[in-house]
Amino acid sequence: MINILEVILVLILLTVLLSLGSTRLMALVRIMVLQGVLVSLIPLFLKSHEILTFGSVVFYLAMVIIKGILIPALLYRAVKHVSIQREIEPFVGYHASIVAGLAVLLAAVFMANSLKLTLPEGRELILVCAVTTMASGFFLMLARKKAITQVIGYLMLENGIYLIGNALTQHHHNLYIVEFGVLLDLLVAVMVMGIILNNINHAFDDVDTTLLGQLKD
Amino acid sequence: MLEAIFLLPFAAGIVAFILPAQLGRALLVCTAIGHLVLGLMGWTGRLTPAYNQFFAGSPEGLLILMVTSFIFTCIALYSFSYVKETEISQKRVFNGCMLFFLGTMSMVTVSEHPLVLWIAIEATTLVSAPLIYIHRSQKALEATWKYVLICSVGIALALLGSFFVTLALDIVDTHQPLSFTMLNELAVQLDPVWLRVGFLFIVIGFGTKMGLAPMHTWLPDAHSEAPSPASALLSGALLNCAFLGIYKAHVLMVNAGLGDFSGNMLVVFGLISMVVGGVFILGQSDYKRMLAYSSIENMGIIAVGVGIGGLGLYGAFIHLIHHSLIKSSLFLSAGNILLGFGTKQVRQVGGIIRHMPKTFVTFFSGFVGIAGLPPFGLFVSEFMIIVAAVRAERYLGVAIFIAALVLVVGGAGRVVMGMSFNDSTETIAVRETFLRLIPAYTLLLASVVLCVWIPESLYTTILNSIQAIGGIHG
Amino acid sequence: MISFLSLVLALLAAPLYPGIILKVKAFFAGKKGPPLLIKYYTLLKLLQKGSVYSTSSSFVFTLGPVVSFAAAIFPLCFFPFAGSASLVSFYGDVVLLFYIMGIGRFFTVVAALDTASPFEGMGAAREVFFSTLAELAIFAILILFYRLTGSLSLNDYFHGENIITLAGVSGALIVLVIVALFMVLLTENSRVPVDDPATHLELTMIHEVMILDHSGPDLALIELGAFYKLFFYAAFIIQLIFPFTAPFSILNMLLFFILMALVYVAVGVIESIMARFKMDLVPKFILTSFALVFFAVILTMGVLQ
Repeated sequence: MINILEVILVLILLTVLLSLGSTRLMALVRIMVLQGVLVSLIPLFLKSHEILTFGSVVFYLAMVIIKGILIPALLYRAVKHVSIQREIEPFVGYHASIVAGLAVLLAAVFMANSLKLTLPEGRELILVCAVTTMASGFFLMLARKKAITQVIGYLMLENGIYLIGNALTQHHHNLYIVEFGVLLDLLVAVMVMGIILNNINHAFDDVDTTLLGQLKD
Repeated sequence: MLEAIFLLPFAAGIVAFILPAQLGRALLVCTAIGHLVLGLMGWTGRLTPAYNQFFAGSPEGLLILMVTSFIFTCIALYSFSYVKETEISQKRVFNGCMLFFLGTMSMVTVSEHPLVLWIAIEATTLVSAPLIYIHRSQKALEATWKYVLICSVGIALALLGSFFVTLALDIVDTHQPLSFTMLNELAVQLDPVWLRVGFLFIVIGFGTKMGLAPMHTWLPDAHSEAPSPASALLSGALLNCAFLGIYKAHVLMVNAGLGDFSGNMLVVFGLISMVVGGVFILGQSDYKRMLAYSSIENMGIIAVGVGIGGLGLYGAFIHLIHHSLIKSSLFLSAGNILLGFGTKQVRQVGGIIRHMPKTFVTFFSGFVGIAGLPPFGLFVSEFMIIVAAVRAERYLGVAIFIAALVLVVGGAGRVVMGMSFNDSTETIAVRETFLRLIPAYTLLLASVVLCVWIPESLYTTILNSIQAIGGIHG
Repeated sequence: MISFLSLVLALLAAPLYPGIILKVKAFFAGKKGPPLLIKYYTLLKLLQKGSVYSTSSSFVFTLGPVVSFAAAIFPLCFFPFAGSASLVSFYGDVVLLFYIMGIGRFFTVVAALDTASPFEGMGAAREVFFSTLAELAIFAILILFYRLTGSLSLNDYFHGENIITLAGVSGALIVLVIVALFMVLLTENSRVPVDDPATHLELTMIHEVMILDHSGPDLALIELGAFYKLFFYAAFIIQLIFPFTAPFSILNMLLFFILMALVYVAVGVIESIMARFKMDLVPKFILTSFALVFFAVILTMGVLQ
């Protein structure tokens, strides 16, 4: 039958590619919503998570709510609040971005193949997917001008790390600390960056990070 | 209960958000003293952790805890007087966040679980961001933005590194709970590939927070825009906490037989930081930024010392203590100068020796200390690290090390001399007061005392900290 | 026999589906819309008329519609509808049939250039440019399929036991292919968001502007050819989504034609909710589809063998 885990992972790769190529802020936010939901679905389909305890269910739900509802809502709000210009304004063009995405995936596959890393059974695709997501998130942060696109890039990076944390490490060592850590990280992202986004808008009338260039040597 | 060390500041922080700002500042001082007492109790081993899976008093952690606690007490006294003179005097956020900041840093020092350590360091970013943004200017906003964004990305990479280390433990397939002790016991069995990758990410991640170049770019901005007490705390305490994360990872690597890899990496990052710090201090026009670059340089020295090992390792810990004392004292002096002259620009400040003679004493002796001259401790520690490097026959490293030190003395000297002795017609807006001077003096005095006389317990603690990776003769 | 029958059915049904797109668009606009069989009526009307030829155009102009129509029918002969075997099949036929489609396009373009109208030249240039890019994605798909099955024949892909489908061994990769193929479908058939078939300004057109000078039966041939082309791509997608492994039956055939409608509905929905891209963003769109397939190809090299 259809291997749902693989399909979800491939869909995550799809969102990564689309996010690299998207030209509109709103479209990018929608893609991120999809990605967040997909990523938060992953733990359900992992074999080592067959035993669902109360704690894991709570954390799982929390993750879905935060990644799938809370963050999108805040991003929507931020975009509605600030978006006078809907264009994304890249430093690096869209074609180059897509090609960069291809290069990243190639590198990730090469890494998974050639390093011969010892992995828990059959998790190469997750590793590839996570590395690609992380690197692309990093790339988005560097290659886009607007402050909000940098936040989105950060969230993408975070998604990749969550994938690795959930997929590659086993639970008895961590006692939900992985989830707790990622939750905290997301809160940092959402709260502080949300506040700052609002304030950047106040102080500069735009959310372009090129305006943030007064402090330098 | 060891956890009280960070629970006390958290509780006080919550209260400080409710109390009026004036009372909150008093609470700041009281909590600081309480924290110092608790820290001493932890130091002497009277506190045992309630959740020993997550928390434990390691010697290196307690050392950094005591430094943090002592500095915080001085800073709390200072801010009691300092904040009143600024426009943030009515802000409860300042007191609350300072206390939370202390709490999260204390949590870093006593954590025993890699991910708890990570969470605590992440939390320091969260609670210190409001301190940097507190002036609400465009520049403060930019500094906060950079701080949060760069540090979050860095910390996220450190999380990845922690996952890789955890994965290395998973592959061994023990069912022991994860902790630093457990990792060190099983170190030899761990998969070296994952450990190397994990260490790489941890150094880059926590190195961002520690201010190692080239990930340091947030540091000058944040230190320059934060109010002086917060800058002192960032430089004197926060950087140490990030260093603790790297140090624990390094210990693990040494135990796993990968000490050369991790040590060399630390030396390289350290030397780059020293050079970057030295170069940017030359021609610096903002004296708080100058101090920040000096912090980058000193963190580089610590990294080099740890990377070399042996006597250098001992020197690194001595350096860490003295750097914290002297640098926070310097930031407090800088705060006085900022109050007096109302500017951070070097050119607009002059004649401190005439206008603010008592501040001149602290500022200038601080400069002497940070330049690595006797009678301050940095002289000893830098000397030790150089000796260790020569013994290890790393001559190129020694050359770069000394060149960077000369750059810093030259660059900082030009700035400090100009500020101290130039003619100036500026009038002093806020006079110096006893309460704003005594903390700076205390910190400097502590450095002098610790240089000539190291208490037995401090000596043994440092030795215990470095015992795991070969001790002073390794 | 069954293969022949299914081909005839497909040829007859193809003009029905564009009517579905119009219905969907009308639904979104809150209108009643034209009858479902509108395209049949249009074809009938056009065939009853005579063609008008400009005095400045040559025989190339008359050749264009005929060749492009033939090139559009050709791929359908190789297609195994709903699990039946293909009418014609040999090793390497996919490469041939995509080139045959290229010949069809070539003659449409040449006919457009033959009129010497500046608008048609512009449309031809755009059409050629975008199709070239789309070809990149198509051939990446073929590379992927070759890696998966070791064959270069449509019949081997969709007929028999080891067919390529979403539920197969490397099913996850097919997700990427389906999305990419849908994007190629939109490009090759001049649909929104690449081109707007309903636009009224020559300057913004791609495909429509090339056939401005054709009339009567010529136009009917071009239209019919376009329906077949769209039908071919849609059938390709449906075969990927739903595995018709069971031996051929009437039920399968019925299911196939119902599922086909879904693709057209999707096209209609996209046309209703999206605007046409600015011309300079179209290459990015096509490049994305190529990148998607390339993702899948990379994954077959590494993790999903």
